[in-house]
Amino acid sequence: MNKEDTESLNSIGPSCETVEMGINYRQLVRGDRIHGSLLHDPDVFAEEMEQIFVRGWAFVGHASEIKNNGDWVKRQLGNESVIMVRGDDGGINVLSNRCSHRGTALCWEHSGNNSFFQCTYHNWRFGLDGNLRAVPFPDGYSKPKEELGLNRAGQVANYRGFIFANLDGQAGFIDEHLGAAGYELIDRLCEMSPSGNLDLGKGWIGHRVQSNWKLWPESDSDGYHVGFVHASMSASTDTHYDDVAIGGDAVQSSRAVDYGKGHLELDWRPSYKQELSWLGVTRERVQDYYSALSQRVGNELADQMLWDGPPHAFLFPNLFLGETVIAIVEPVAPGEMIHRHTAVQFEGADDAFNERLLRQTEAAFGPASFITTDDAITAERVQAGVSGIDTSWASANRGWIDLSRGMHREAVDENGVRSSNSSDETTNRGFWYRYLEMMSEEVTR
Amino acid sequence: MTSPELRTEIEEFLYREARYADEFLLEEWEALLTDEFHYWVPAGRLQGDPSKQLAYLNDNRTRVATRIRQLQTGKRLSQIPNSPMRRVISNIEIESANDGEVLVKANFVIYELAAQSSGELRVWPGQAQYRLERVEGNLRMSAKWIELVTADAGQRNLTFLI
Repeated sequence: MNKEDTESLNSIGPSCETVEMGINYRQLVRGDRIHGSLLHDPDVFAEEMEQIFVRGWAFVGHASEIKNNGDWVKRQLGNESVIMVRGDDGGINVLSNRCSHRGTALCWEHSGNNSFFQCTYHNWRFGLDGNLRAVPFPDGYSKPKEELGLNRAGQVANYRGFIFANLDGQAGFIDEHLGAAGYELIDRLCEMSPSGNLDLGKGWIGHRVQSNWKLWPESDSDGYHVGFVHASMSASTDTHYDDVAIGGDAVQSSRAVDYGKGHLELDWRPSYKQELSWLGVTRERVQDYYSALSQRVGNELADQMLWDGPPHAFLFPNLFLGETVIAIVEPVAPGEMIHRHTAVQFEGADDAFNERLLRQTEAAFGPASFITTDDAITAERVQAGVSGIDTSWASANRGWIDLSRGMHREAVDENGVRSSNSSDETTNRGFWYRYLEMMSEEVTR
Repeated sequence: MTSPELRTEIEEFLYREARYADEFLLEEWEALLTDEFHYWVPAGRLQGDPSKQLAYLNDNRTRVATRIRQLQTGKRLSQIPNSPMRRVISNIEIESANDGEVLVKANFVIYELAAQSSGELRVWPGQAQYRLERVEGNLRMSAKWIELVTADAGQRNLTFLI
């Protein structure tokens, strides 16, 4: 962006005086549309990594991945490589994967178990809490060790095993971020487990896509595309999406829901025509699971859960509760991201049931799947379409992406929850409302 | 010791299977499979029980039929157009050959052009393990297991027959 454009943009926006030389997001995110430049501009990407992934809360992983003290997994939070580790006290720490001496990455495999982290450059040794324990030839240092620990997430929260972190520690409480809806969506999934607990220990599969990361919250919560992008799936096999997401407003009654804070759901429940439609089986095939579940929650609730299925929901900014699959949206570069997923496994369910969930996951998600492969190609085509759009075009009315579908027929309840037909862009707008709040935060700070 | 005749027959089978896959000759490729065919691309090494793991691809015969049917719908966005691709197979080792069952390992490299989107040239190196069986005199494939060099690193769309 050249200086002239910056001045002309700044002269329009209400926040111009505090966003000096910066990108004026209020000019680029409007109620009914967003500007395509937000999907590829490198400056936008850099600011997102700071505003959303450093200053905000994001999903890191699940406690079941690191059951024993010393178990760790490597994760990416925006630009920051982090280690999620079970400490000596059984608590979970989220540490920067970077030696505090010269910046060397401490872990390069996906996961492991260690009683400490040792840098391979000068053998500095850190505890599982990130504190510096020992350095070779310590007489060379007059600084106290306490000043030389690893960087760590300022806040870490654990809700039913879902681990969230806020790197800068200034984002406010997790309750404020997740809200009642975030908790309810996680509850709805966990409650379907016979023990009430999930096991997400089957490993994560990376689907590398040449698109901006924000196209995945959009696609994961978009009910409009299913009958078109996934027509080949629908034509070659029976799936529950035929009932809940295909055919348009006239034939199904699913809802697109924006709970606020960027938490979104495609609520299929009103459309299901039979129990277990979401799993594609009859009750006889999952009798052991049903028995185990109803033992804890009772028959009435268990029956209801068999109908309702797990939620299809997105928690801002990077967690997709994709029914029987969990996915992380991982930004890499403006036009490069990873959609990383694992299979939900219900602790306390029989092996045959959990294996069914594995096979369901393989069919639906990942590089060789029947479904998200066509989302990937679609995201890549969007990326190709928007890659020439400059931020300066906004004022010239070029390069806009329309998200107005259903604005005239949205319902808003007493809690501010917006909902509409599942083919409406209520969910997509919900993502961008929250995005705008996060990206223009510096204005109010 | 495998006879030169059997070795030649196996090599010809593998090359034909590779060409059918490269050229999206889907019916011809499917005709090479036995009814028990298992197709597996793990997200790591070829080890352990496939049914207990989360893989990139883990098809029984029914699912591979669905996979082929999906490609034949004419609506499979991620293969419109089909990827122009060629693979090279080498280092063919016949592990065992008895009672009409042959176990073979081979290295491969696939060059695939992502003609559906970015136009990127994608390179897929790895090892294939085949189980071949003799059905009515002809070799058929009852398992194809693929260990990608990049198995741990995540993948681009893999919507062709690997």
